[in-house]
Amino acid sequence: MVIRHLLLSFALAAICAGPVLSNELRAPEEVLSDLIEKNESSYLTQSEQNIMMMPDNAALWLADEGKALFYEQRGPNNVSLETCDLGKGPGVLEGAYVELPRYFADTGRVMDLESRLVYCLTTIQGFADDDPTVSTRHGSSSDMMKLQTFIAAQSSGYAWNPPMEHPLEKAMRDAGEVLFYRRAGTSDFSCGTCHAATGKRIRASVLPDINRPEEWTKAISWPAYRVGQQNVRSSQHRVRGCYWQMRQPESIAGSDAAIALMSYWTDAARGQPSILPDKKR
Amino acid sequence: MKTKPHTPALLAALLTMAAAGSASADSADGGAPDYTAMSPQALAEYLIFEAGGFDLDAPTQEGGTARDRMVQDEIQQICTELKLSGKPLDRATAARISALADESMKYPEKGIALGDWKKGEQIARSGYGFRIGHRNDDHAAEEPGGNCYACHQLDPNEVAYGTVGPSLAGYGSLRGTSDAMLKHTYDILYNAHLYFPCTNMPRFGYHGTLTEQQISDVMAYLLAPDSPVNQQPPATAER
Repeated sequence: MVIRHLLLSFALAAICAGPVLSNELRAPEEVLSDLIEKNESSYLTQSEQNIMMMPDNAALWLADEGKALFYEQRGPNNVSLETCDLGKGPGVLEGAYVELPRYFADTGRVMDLESRLVYCLTTIQGFADDDPTVSTRHGSSSDMMKLQTFIAAQSSGYAWNPPMEHPLEKAMRDAGEVLFYRRAGTSDFSCGTCHAATGKRIRASVLPDINRPEEWTKAISWPAYRVGQQNVRSSQHRVRGCYWQMRQPESIAGSDAAIALMSYWTDAARGQPSILPDKKR
Repeated sequence: MKTKPHTPALLAALLTMAAAGSASADSADGGAPDYTAMSPQALAEYLIFEAGGFDLDAPTQEGGTARDRMVQDEIQQICTELKLSGKPLDRATAARISALADESMKYPEKGIALGDWKKGEQIARSGYGFRIGHRNDDHAAEEPGGNCYACHQLDPNEVAYGTVGPSLAGYGSLRGTSDAMLKHTYDILYNAHLYFPCTNMPRFGYHGTLTEQQISDVMAYLLAPDSPVNQQPPATAER
């Protein structure tokens, strides 16, 4: 079984590597328990049940399916995605996701995982924009979620490290910060209303604080299986959901506004290990 | 619905765009400005209003479009800038915000009175209303709520309460129901920036997200002596 194989290699890596470094593949449940051990955070510990179920996370199955899709010859061009460059060279997946969003010279844009995948699916495999492989962005049964979960899992345990060398990366991150704190709409909310203080709750749910990288890493560790929705969800799905709850307009996937926001929120978790795939309420 | 002026930040973004547009002819799609030449604020406004970041043409429950929701009024703008600056609230800014809130106040023609606390409780518990985008809340099917419990403790026997705002358990029993207290409570529900400049609390009266009647019902839930908010919790080992 590929999952068992994956877990075995995580276990072997853990045994062989000795002291844990921030840049090696680690099983998500191990990353989380390590974070909990080192940090006092009611956000990280809020669901004992979810923590217990991490090794049986349904998102691990999706990562398996995504792996098969990634290496399969598909689309009008009948080629695999092995030449897809996610920022660290064609086909290099390990540690690639924690360095997104980043600037890509071939498009002249800062791109997140989802927009980069769309680019690879359309330019390499030749899928049309309205092909369900490209256009269906949400739900565990979508190719998009399978591929995103597989690719992201190849960074589990790696420290978030979005590059800021290119001026556009910095510009997008800074605009994302403005978007994060920008109050608007009929409820006067911004992302900062809920995510700029530690240990606060909405109803019974503990909120993650963007000012605490050690808990914010879990907040941005998408894809994650959302127990309440029984689906694996993406970063973009979280952004859309937050704007919906804030009573503000629908965020458009792949737009520079969405990518800027992700640039800021990824930068805020810099240095902390990713938990991929994660499991959330 | 109120009409809101375009913000200076938006104007700045448009001006920067115009300036950058002529300079950056090498961009992929020709018309896009040079993001690196814009201030973070100007770029954010551009990404929202000009670069397809949001579905701005969607209809809203109050009758406008989603675009109107993204245009900041002065209080939203000042409080955003303050937060981004990292500075504490200074007296001059506090006075400006409070004055803007004061100008916005409108009072019921028949005076401020307590409504029905049972209806107020439903409003305090309900988070329905005004959501737009991939799924619009249908106000014909269900009345919007105030979602007070998302952020506040109210009935001391309710365990699922938020802590973004202060606890309001025992609100009325601690304060009484004088005319001054009724007005104070009404003011906070209508536009809390009057007393708490740059508060996180939504302006329910100002935005019209709660009706005059709903505000008086929520006030009853907070202040009426027989409301659950003002009952003592049963003594248990846990407490």
